[in-house]
Amino acid sequence: MFDAVQRNLPFLMAGFLTNLELAGCALAGGIFLGILVGLGRISSKAWVYRPVTVYVNVLRNIPLILVIFWFYFVMPILVGKTLHPFVSAAVSFIVFEATYFGEIFRAGFQSISRDLVSAAYSTGLTYWQTARYILVPIAFRRMLPSMITQSIITFQDTSLAYVIGLQEMVRRTTIVDSMEVRSIELYSFVAVMFFIVCFIGSRISRHYEEKGRRANVL
Amino acid sequence: MIEIRNLSKSYGRLQVLSDINEVIQRGQTVVICGPSGSGKSTLLRCINGLEPFQKGEVIVDGISVGDPKTNLYKLRQKIGMVFQRFELYPHMTVLKNITLAPMKVKGVPRKQAEEKAMELLERVGIPEKAGEYPANLSGGQQQRVAIARALAMEPEYMMFDEPTSALDPEMIQEVLEVMMDLAREGMTMLVVTHEMGFAREVADEIIFMDAGRIVERGTGDEFFRNPKHDRTREFLSQILK
Repeated sequence: MFDAVQRNLPFLMAGFLTNLELAGCALAGGIFLGILVGLGRISSKAWVYRPVTVYVNVLRNIPLILVIFWFYFVMPILVGKTLHPFVSAAVSFIVFEATYFGEIFRAGFQSISRDLVSAAYSTGLTYWQTARYILVPIAFRRMLPSMITQSIITFQDTSLAYVIGLQEMVRRTTIVDSMEVRSIELYSFVAVMFFIVCFIGSRISRHYEEKGRRANVL
Repeated sequence: MIEIRNLSKSYGRLQVLSDINEVIQRGQTVVICGPSGSGKSTLLRCINGLEPFQKGEVIVDGISVGDPKTNLYKLRQKIGMVFQRFELYPHMTVLKNITLAPMKVKGVPRKQAEEKAMELLERVGIPEKAGEYPANLSGGQQQRVAIARALAMEPEYMMFDEPTSALDPEMIQEVLEVMMDLAREGMTMLVVTHEMGFAREVADEIIFMDAGRIVERGTGDEFFRNPKHDRTREFLSQILK
């Protein structure tokens, strides 16, 4: 019954690999940029806080699919040449996900008491040392479950990149389906593949949640 | 020497410190008491530059804390601080809590920092807890680690912000004893506390604050035996009952 899937398995799985790669880039960039966004959002300096807040609010209030389109059309103007859909999609995802991760980090940073930061300062640690050794590691542990959840969402959203012609799994499935006309089997297979990855992810998230509770950092 | 001259601070319209003047000589222990909201903690936080202030001067060994050119990170190395709720780093072991600042700020090699940390843990009476995480320690033990952490930077001054008010009664004494030892060894200390036994025992001067002002100051006995102000008398009668 799943012979249509079987016949096209390498083609489809190569698409799935693209989803994984795109998610990998989106998460690496989004988390790194997100840390800076989170620090910016708790900054007491208005020239840092204001622009970062505008950035976060704008991006969080428009659909991801629009961001993907927008970058796809704007990036060529910015860099002067047409970009591979993967690069364009990766940039959109990083810029978009950084706002979500930024808010997760902000909540994490704000969960740390002012006196704990004062204690670090009082031993002579600088702002950056305090961020690196105290703020970020504690916030990271507290935020790990939400981060994994957001990562799962990011992974699911990578399929949206099909709108700019990226040959990820969903896109490839539509191509296969137009030849094989076996929609139910093909799309079920895609669903199963996404489910497996996301389900494992949510189990990992729960594991870290319990671990954090035991270590008294939650 | 710490000199505080005409120090005033406000949050918007709320005046939290008004015209504070005080000189703390080397080797002295000064106890600050007063009702909550009287500005005691804020005063400490102004001295090591954790809080900015609008008027007056705070000078630590000739360095002006309010001067924008002053390197506050450097200044804070001289002034250890202990907090009401311990504020140990929850993700680090006791040993790491103590060695972090010496290693990162002063560049002390790990081995040497750890030896020093063990010495300090010995001094506060809990060397066996070096490998534990703060969450597995009692309040009194955590506070003693916090004192060791501050001492690891070899500060010239120590400030304590209500170090025993978050502790169960049976743990207060173990922390006070460590503090008394420090005072007797000649550490310059500023202690916000309501432990009047401690004040009587080691304080060279006791300051009573109310509504952001220093209302009264005196040496141990004189302060307790005949407070000059009604407000002080009222406060003492509540605290000593």
